[in-house]
Amino acid sequence: MLAQQIVNGLMLGAIYMLVAVAFTLAIGVLNFLNFSLPGLFMVGGMVSFGMMKLGWPWFLAFAVALLAAAFISLLVERLAYRRMQSGDPEVPLVSSLGFLVLLENLVLIQYGSDQQAFPALLPDMNFRFGGLVIGMAQVASLAVSLGLVFWLSRFLAATNAGRRIRTVAESRETALLMGIDIARLVPQLFVASALLAAFAGILFAVNYQQVSPFMGEGIGFKGVAAMIVGGMGSIWGAVLGGLLIGLAEVLSISFLGADVVNITVYGLLLLILILRPQGLLGRPASREKL
Amino acid sequence: MSAALSISGLSKSFAGVRAIRDLSFEVPKGRTTALIGPNGAGKTTVFNLVSGVYGVDAGRITVNGQDVTHMPSRRRISTGVARSFQNIRLMSHLSVLENLLVGQHVRASSLGALLTPYRLIPNHRWKREARAALAESGLGAYADETVSALPYGVRKRIDLVRATLAGASVLMLDEPAAGLNPSETNALRDHLNALAQKGITLLVVEHDMHFVDSICESVVVLNFGEKIAEGPLSEVRRDPKVREAYIGMDGED
Amino acid sequence: MSGYLTGVLVVLAFNVMAAYAVYLPLAAGQLNLGIAGFMAIGAYASAFLTNEYGWPMWAAIPFGSALAGLMGVLIGIPVLRTHGIYLAMATFALGQVISAVFLNLEVVGGAAGYPVSDYATPGVVWAAAAGVVVLMLYVSRTRFALCLTAVKSDPTVADLLGVSVRGMQVAAFALGAAVAGFGGGLYAHHYNFVEAQHFNVLLSVFTVLYVLFGGTQTVWGPLVGAAFFTLVPEVLRASDQWRYAVFAAFIILFMAVRPQGLVTASLLRIFRRRRVTP
Repeated sequence: MLAQQIVNGLMLGAIYMLVAVAFTLAIGVLNFLNFSLPGLFMVGGMVSFGMMKLGWPWFLAFAVALLAAAFISLLVERLAYRRMQSGDPEVPLVSSLGFLVLLENLVLIQYGSDQQAFPALLPDMNFRFGGLVIGMAQVASLAVSLGLVFWLSRFLAATNAGRRIRTVAESRETALLMGIDIARLVPQLFVASALLAAFAGILFAVNYQQVSPFMGEGIGFKGVAAMIVGGMGSIWGAVLGGLLIGLAEVLSISFLGADVVNITVYGLLLLILILRPQGLLGRPASREKL
Repeated sequence: MSAALSISGLSKSFAGVRAIRDLSFEVPKGRTTALIGPNGAGKTTVFNLVSGVYGVDAGRITVNGQDVTHMPSRRRISTGVARSFQNIRLMSHLSVLENLLVGQHVRASSLGALLTPYRLIPNHRWKREARAALAESGLGAYADETVSALPYGVRKRIDLVRATLAGASVLMLDEPAAGLNPSETNALRDHLNALAQKGITLLVVEHDMHFVDSICESVVVLNFGEKIAEGPLSEVRRDPKVREAYIGMDGED
Repeated sequence: MSGYLTGVLVVLAFNVMAAYAVYLPLAAGQLNLGIAGFMAIGAYASAFLTNEYGWPMWAAIPFGSALAGLMGVLIGIPVLRTHGIYLAMATFALGQVISAVFLNLEVVGGAAGYPVSDYATPGVVWAAAAGVVVLMLYVSRTRFALCLTAVKSDPTVADLLGVSVRGMQVAAFALGAAVAGFGGGLYAHHYNFVEAQHFNVLLSVFTVLYVLFGGTQTVWGPLVGAAFFTLVPEVLRASDQWRYAVFAAFIILFMAVRPQGLVTASLLRIFRRRRVTP
């Protein structure tokens, strides 16, 4: 059953991968560890759930969830990021954590703290290869995530907008000299990373058919771990890290027990941070700002 | 023997670009020397190598006869070498007095000193010493001000007082007069002359040649990381190599 | 004193201790997002000594605190090679690992929790918290605190002035861990029960939030932050969920307006000057 576990791990990893890409976009370009992203992941799942509960069709519910996440992310940019270039470097990070707490508790007040069942959207159909069972939803979400990441990396590499983003990531001074409008680019990046996180939340809800106000914490924090393991600021690092963390989690659940997951996953993160802080695919770090 | 700072055969490259090449010069004890040259000549790099912010690729640096080439940057202050930065690096949200107390660290770093609650003791000798040093430089009135509230010129000179309190006998100043108005420049000049009177050796990187002329006995000219001339400013500025490298010197008279 | 008031003030005492555990490393520029892990070490170690070896509380809790401090040194040395985001993440991961280890440690009850046989009265908790505050006030009056500030605001210059940046960082990190362990040990003995789930990320995060709210420039900030976080929601009689939501919203808005926190050095200086020259 090892092969089955590996497949399951990769499927979970695809979710981590999207979250990690969202984080890496914020870190790589904005140098901001944006802890509101797990909250936006949860908003993706919970708002979709809430709208569908009101009887909205799934595609409208998803659209509302994505819009909500984008809007909240603009608030984060305004209140946690933009205003704080003057204070202590840890303030934006901590303020974004404040957003996470706020979002969780607002959703909790609305929907209660229990886990809720998310309606099944895709037909309950399984592919079978030999002894392997692969769910339709799993295949769909893996394909969509990989497609999205692939598109994003092409976008960054081959379009003018992508080149502008990479210039800002390299050096803000150069970007300013080249006349890049950073003040406009930053909110766009916040929206992009929010959409990625919220979309991952929707995929998670569709896949595992459950949502809760706290669904962002576990997944979101592991997404951060995935990003660091892979290498901050590197999209393919986020992909690799996401898949690795997903595998590590599923394998340790099936061979060591569910309670050990945090030890393996965060132990791996700690080890990487001490031995190779730049991550598996990252470039050696210059001094980072929080 | 009478060199306060001696540099020989110093080289340093960054990513294959040679910033300093086989540089040798001496700064005599008690004299004020300027390190000049066009932008990018490697002046600040020399400061970074002497203070240990960067490690050297080759060469030897001695301060007051002590080899500091491979000494950790933290220990170099105890040989008497201190520096300033182009942009003043004081703790801006603290008071002037607190900034000066950090300067005393090298002479008060035992566990006992670290755990003495000096702030609870009125007129503790550290505070007295710092206030006296400030008063001596005519800055006594600023002792309890927050640094960020002070004019630029005053902050520059507080930086100097901090270095003196650290017991610096060789002081490297990176563009001390940059950004100062004429009266602040005069105050700085008096301050530096007073330090020189006390026997402190100064090595100054400066673009303002009038300022250099008014405080320095001799200059070392760098270009592309190499020394191209040294001697009194009046002689050096007649040197054709210098004129060629350093067009800026022509115009300023 | 009513049971309710006693309960609130005990929580305040624990929050104050946690605040100073976060404050010490923060004063040296390190964001420790894993403070709950060190509380867990102090809590479990002291509870184990009380339960299994019959140690008196007054010996077991300081021992747990010392053990947390020692772990702070051992873990701090490799972890403090990282800076900024990396350090924040490393401490975050550390907190997760420590609490997961206790969750799996059957000798201290595992996921079922661990009852503690000795009881620390509210009076003991208050006295201990007051002791921590006095200690911190003392430390803030020393050169050590000044060095931490120097390391935080400009490590390069601090180093060139002869300050051992690494030494100061490890010391601040370990002392913070020891304070956390001390608070954790008392927590175990006051509530007579420890469970690993209590020492989670949110505990660390909330502590950091109210310390930053109070302000990290002076030693009074954490005290003010902890008091605000504990007492204001009680006064408002808010439900738990609204309490956290309102608190988080308030913090976000407050930090946007005043990122340096409520109590700052210049604020205190103005205050002091007024007192001296009326």
